[in-house]
Amino acid sequence: MNKRLRFWLDERSGYSVIFHFLKEKKIPQHRHSIWYYTGSAILLFFAIQVITGFLLVFYYNPTLEGANASVARIMTEVPLGWIIRSVHSWSASFMIAFVFVHLLSIWITKAYRKPRELTWMSGVFLLFVSLAFGFTGYLLPWDDLSLSATKVGTDIPRSIPIVGIWVTKLLRGGEDVTGDTLTRFFGFHVSILPLFLLAILAVHVYLIQKQGMSIPLEAERKDEKMKELPFWPNFVFREMVVWLVLTGILFSVAVFFPPSLDKAADLMAPAPEGIRPEWYFLFLFQMLKIFPAKILFVNGDTLAVLLILLGIVAFFFLPLIDNKPAERKGKIITVIAYLFIVFALAMTVWSLL
Amino acid sequence: MKLKHSLFTRRQFLNGLLGGWLGALAASLLAPVLKFVFPPAREPDEVILSFSDFKDMELNTVKNFPWGSKPGLLKKNDDGSYTAFVAVCTHLDCNVTYLSDQRKFFCACHDGWYDENGINIGGPPPRPLRQLNLSIEGEDLIIKREGVE
Amino acid sequence: MRKKKKYVALFVLVIAFHSFFLLKPVFAQQVGQKEKTEMTQEVESQEKIIPGPQNITESTGIYVFIVWMWLAIFVLIYILILKIKEVDRLHEIRFISKKIK
Repeated sequence: MNKRLRFWLDERSGYSVIFHFLKEKKIPQHRHSIWYYTGSAILLFFAIQVITGFLLVFYYNPTLEGANASVARIMTEVPLGWIIRSVHSWSASFMIAFVFVHLLSIWITKAYRKPRELTWMSGVFLLFVSLAFGFTGYLLPWDDLSLSATKVGTDIPRSIPIVGIWVTKLLRGGEDVTGDTLTRFFGFHVSILPLFLLAILAVHVYLIQKQGMSIPLEAERKDEKMKELPFWPNFVFREMVVWLVLTGILFSVAVFFPPSLDKAADLMAPAPEGIRPEWYFLFLFQMLKIFPAKILFVNGDTLAVLLILLGIVAFFFLPLIDNKPAERKGKIITVIAYLFIVFALAMTVWSLL
Repeated sequence: MKLKHSLFTRRQFLNGLLGGWLGALAASLLAPVLKFVFPPAREPDEVILSFSDFKDMELNTVKNFPWGSKPGLLKKNDDGSYTAFVAVCTHLDCNVTYLSDQRKFFCACHDGWYDENGINIGGPPPRPLRQLNLSIEGEDLIIKREGVE
Repeated sequence: MRKKKKYVALFVLVIAFHSFFLLKPVFAQQVGQKEKTEMTQEVESQEKIIPGPQNITESTGIYVFIVWMWLAIFVLIYILILKIKEVDRLHEIRFISKKIK
């Protein structure tokens, strides 16, 4: 019966071509194969975000008056609402953590080298969309902490000469953070960003399927013969093990460390103590803090932001910069990756002291 | 390979085990999600109102009171007693109104009619209007759900 | 024998992971907590809503769920490892037979 159903569908849609492809797709096994699991881990957490997001949006009220109260309601009245919210909050952090791990593993193994430059660039877009998800989502409970973090965060683009002020206005829906900002962020978070993400993700995944899995540089140069696993079913079963463990950890953490909710934000009140953004922005936050107010005749903030922007541009074009990966320049770029890890960790820890 | 006397092959057994346990885990994760999506719609067990709001009602008139998220109608009868109705039509949930001159409850959605005691007398409503138990204790007018002590 | 040691080690790891949570009142980061209420919450006149199960039934239910979830996960991982061995073996056989061809 099942076979007949599948045949009926395949006659009309031709969907089995996907499965034939997945069976042919090969995953090479080598010292660095373990990083292959990071991509689907990100997808797992994103899927969890979509599902828990759908559930939360059933009860969330994206207006200035109702936002905080609706989150409070989710946490107290709605059955198990606090768990759903907790999973959503933790899965966001897990997803971004794995995005960082994925990105670093690609950088260090230089998987972005020809012909995979576009995959890297689409990946950088995905990184920014993910961070934007985190940033916009953070405001939605509309409590003191998130309001202040948003005020600071949307103020930063202002330091960019000429265009900066317009970026701030675009984000805030005006000069200041108001109820309009909340509604705008909600629109970004549930509609605009998901569509962007899906579009860019489609490109990213298509390129990966077309070009196959990359192998480490030395292995490629020596033309090593290595063991290859079929993607389906061998690699997928292994991925399932990883997904199960990650889901277990996520739920355990979510149940025992649920996020709390502060009272509704007061737009007129002074900033509360101890404001800080989410952990994945802390290293940037610290970088801005350490720059003095003025360097020579240039505004310290402007310099910091421009430096960061320069870093981002270099990051985006990394595959083009690293065009001779086997030579000295390539080795230096690998070292920079490790230095960046140390730098980001150090900055993060410093910001918490 | 499947022996004649065995129900299924070892592969089928293993696949069944895998599918079964995955299904069980998925179901256990789905259960709280369903609870979340379909929260229990609890009607209040009782509602306490201030009797002074209703004391001076004229005979054969009604006054609104909140019954959870539904509208309630308190009717002062000809003999001075009170009846509490859930003002929701038993046909398709529209809110009903009381027409004092006709001594009937009327539902505008599909022309449903109830008499002054809430009995369905005309149109599509299949059942009489729900009546709630009420008692007056001093200053308070207490309205209870049917069957609540 | 080595496999068994791996499983025991994993099991101990999971227990240790969860015992961390039992120390929650000490380690959990409840920033700026106004009232030290453990698993209850009041909604109206309070600064901060600390979420959690409402009553003992819910608390027990959640512990039971977590234990069940990990049990199911371990069983599934065991079954998946068997499946992985099976499909790996199949792949090897086909690979070898192709080579022989």
